[in-house]
Amino acid sequence: MSALHKGASVLALIAAMITASPGLAQETTKIVDDPLELTIHFHFRDKYVYSEKWPVEQKAAELTNIHVRNVASLATTSSRDAFNLLIASGDLPDIVGGDASGGLKEDFIRYGLEGAFIPLDDLIEEHAPHLKAFFDSHPDIRRAISGPDGKLYFIPYVPDGKFSRGWFIRQDWLDKLGLKQPETPEEVHEVLKAFRDKDPNGNGVKDEVPYFAREEVDAIRLINLWDARVSGSERYGDFAVYDGQLRHPWAEENYKTGISHVAQWYKEGLIDKEIFTRGARAREYLLGNNLGGMTHDWFASTSTYNDALTGKIDGFALRPMLPPKTVSGQRFEDARRLQVQPAGWAITATNEHPVETIKYFDFWFSEQGRILSNFGVEGLTYEMVDGKPHFTKEVLGNKDPVNAQLWAVGAQVPRGFWMTYEYERQWTNKIALEGIDLYEECNCLKDEFLGVSLNADEKAVFDRYWPSILTYMTEMQQTWVLGAQDVDTGWDAYKKRLGELGYDKVIAVMQSAYERQYEAAR
Amino acid sequence: MKQSFRNTLHSFAEDFRLDWQLYLLLAPMVIWFVLFLYKPMYGLLIAFKDFSIFRGIERSPWVGFAHFEVLFQNDMFIRAFWNTIAISGLGLIFAFPIPIILALMFNEVQNAVAKRWAQTIVYLPHFISVVIVAGIVINFLSPSTGVVNLLLTSLGFEPIYFLTRPEWFRPVFIGSSVWKEAGFESIVYLAAIAGVSPTLYESARVDGASRWQMMWRITLPCILPTIIIMLIIRIGNLVEVGFEYIILLYRPPTYETADVVSTFIYRTGLQGTQYDLATAAGLFNAVIAFALVYSANRISRRLSSTSLW
Repeated sequence: MSALHKGASVLALIAAMITASPGLAQETTKIVDDPLELTIHFHFRDKYVYSEKWPVEQKAAELTNIHVRNVASLATTSSRDAFNLLIASGDLPDIVGGDASGGLKEDFIRYGLEGAFIPLDDLIEEHAPHLKAFFDSHPDIRRAISGPDGKLYFIPYVPDGKFSRGWFIRQDWLDKLGLKQPETPEEVHEVLKAFRDKDPNGNGVKDEVPYFAREEVDAIRLINLWDARVSGSERYGDFAVYDGQLRHPWAEENYKTGISHVAQWYKEGLIDKEIFTRGARAREYLLGNNLGGMTHDWFASTSTYNDALTGKIDGFALRPMLPPKTVSGQRFEDARRLQVQPAGWAITATNEHPVETIKYFDFWFSEQGRILSNFGVEGLTYEMVDGKPHFTKEVLGNKDPVNAQLWAVGAQVPRGFWMTYEYERQWTNKIALEGIDLYEECNCLKDEFLGVSLNADEKAVFDRYWPSILTYMTEMQQTWVLGAQDVDTGWDAYKKRLGELGYDKVIAVMQSAYERQYEAAR
Repeated sequence: MKQSFRNTLHSFAEDFRLDWQLYLLLAPMVIWFVLFLYKPMYGLLIAFKDFSIFRGIERSPWVGFAHFEVLFQNDMFIRAFWNTIAISGLGLIFAFPIPIILALMFNEVQNAVAKRWAQTIVYLPHFISVVIVAGIVINFLSPSTGVVNLLLTSLGFEPIYFLTRPEWFRPVFIGSSVWKEAGFESIVYLAAIAGVSPTLYESARVDGASRWQMMWRITLPCILPTIIIMLIIRIGNLVEVGFEYIILLYRPPTYETADVVSTFIYRTGLQGTQYDLATAAGLFNAVIAFALVYSANRISRRLSSTSLW
């Protein structure tokens, strides 16, 4: 204990030196009088673990007197493996957190129900005013992450900001060909054909790729033009809510129309021939070689190509544009940012200090904790300007991305915290911000399906049928687009096959879980 | 009965006292087998349980054959099973003879330098990681920039998007596997050929036999036992198709012909975390493999008196 005392006081000293600003002399944020050490398993993004050396963690320890010591090993390159191994070992630390491929939400709930993690509702009610206030003002998020028993088993990482992806088009190509940004499906068709035929890159070769996409979810995004949806959330191939009814977008009638048009456009050479195989480097390759004309992708990262390619490609201007109107005349954007991440942290059943731990979790949702977890440490990564945190010039001017710099000091890591979009806005490209404003004005986002927690019986049905159905749907989707089968002749067989594979049974259990979780409260 | 058991035990103890050094030499291998091959068999219990990694094998409840029922009612599994047989079967027909032919051809090369060069060139692909081989294949077959399609277009054909065509998956898979492994597999046969007594060839030459006749009448019959053993091993692996290479090459549109049991296990078990179902699929696979090896061995023993055991 004395060694810890010593370490703690040294840490406090360092932290005090870093942030020697008298203005921050706050009312006491100490949770315990004597330093308390809690152990944590926290592995994230497949390559990082929680660190006592992070300035953010040191500042938090100074403020709360709770010292969090990581026990997760760095000797694995998969956060999923690290988490599963921990659970299988049965030797749990006080806190388990982080993220993993596929998300940890279902794991927290499943192993919570089996007794690995404790339900947090009562603790939040009694000891965590900030968390309580957050959940009271965000009832949908609370419902979305509750278990089938209605209890909370983890505190999530809550992202902020509504928009993720949008439409982008080569404005300079449009100008060169004397075209306007397309507003209807027919106009999109005309523009893509012009990109294909009229040599907008001016190299004399018909090598333009009119529509391309980097990720699977955007490969068939053009089906939006026929009112069909790709997914009900940012996750690929998710269910969607249609007037309170949960269904899968790929079993809808408008999907048939959408996918058959997309197949037709693929055949006409308007969509990248290698749309399903080009993969993550598609955007870099096709933009960098002055080949790609239109895409649907993340605002922030896609906009940066305008800076990266100025000087390399004459007049390069890749601009965000509003979603074109669909055949039914409406305008909608299919993709949106997840409202809650399947990541965060939970208290284990073997934790001897659950009250102190929930208070610690609560700290991160307080004003001070939010600034700390979003912007890092004052003086090191940000300065207060007019009472608001602003990143320092060094951070904004550094050649490493701002988020990577923040990870290095322990901010913006997937602990249970509430992100503020302001953090991202400060280093987002101007063109992207214009695009986001455009979409904000349009106000045409679809509601997100936040996911459901299945009980044991429902899960048995889901696990039995759904993997095969999803495989089959993906298979047919690509078979149709690539032209190996005609959609019109294949559709009835497709629907019939979905029925045989158990589509209706899965929808029934999803619907009952959905009603239990969301409808009851309304 | 009891008497004979005691006798056996006694003679074993006697044996051990005399030759304990030999047993000591044997021990590491036995321990390795027990630890890494027999002990994990305990994990097969997962196939009969509603397994949760938190509860562990002991505390997870029994469900009998429920996972097997789910498996056999799952069309995707049935399809994966037949695909496995088809890919292995075609591999057996087209890929198995090639290393033998290669070895026979090497044997006929007279110039020692040329022989060494040729051998090295065909061995080399074996040492390339399967990930890189898949990358090479994908690049070669790319519809816009791949060598194969550039050749096709220059000859006036339409480019073919090989990797998204179900009918092309198996030829591509087996063809590239042959390129990668045939050279290395021929080593076994070369070794067997080296073991053929030179006196047989000398006497044949005295009798005026041609090289074709010598190969057909001497070399092949002499390496037949090796071929049979390799064949039995290959049949045992009929239900095992290396999943890494398939995962790297297959795409949803080719699942129809490319999805095999091991990739099915990978998707449901590891990506979908249904460990119990995946274990059931793996166990089923192992039972089939055992039956195949056993019958292949029986048939071989009857027909050629060569067998594994």
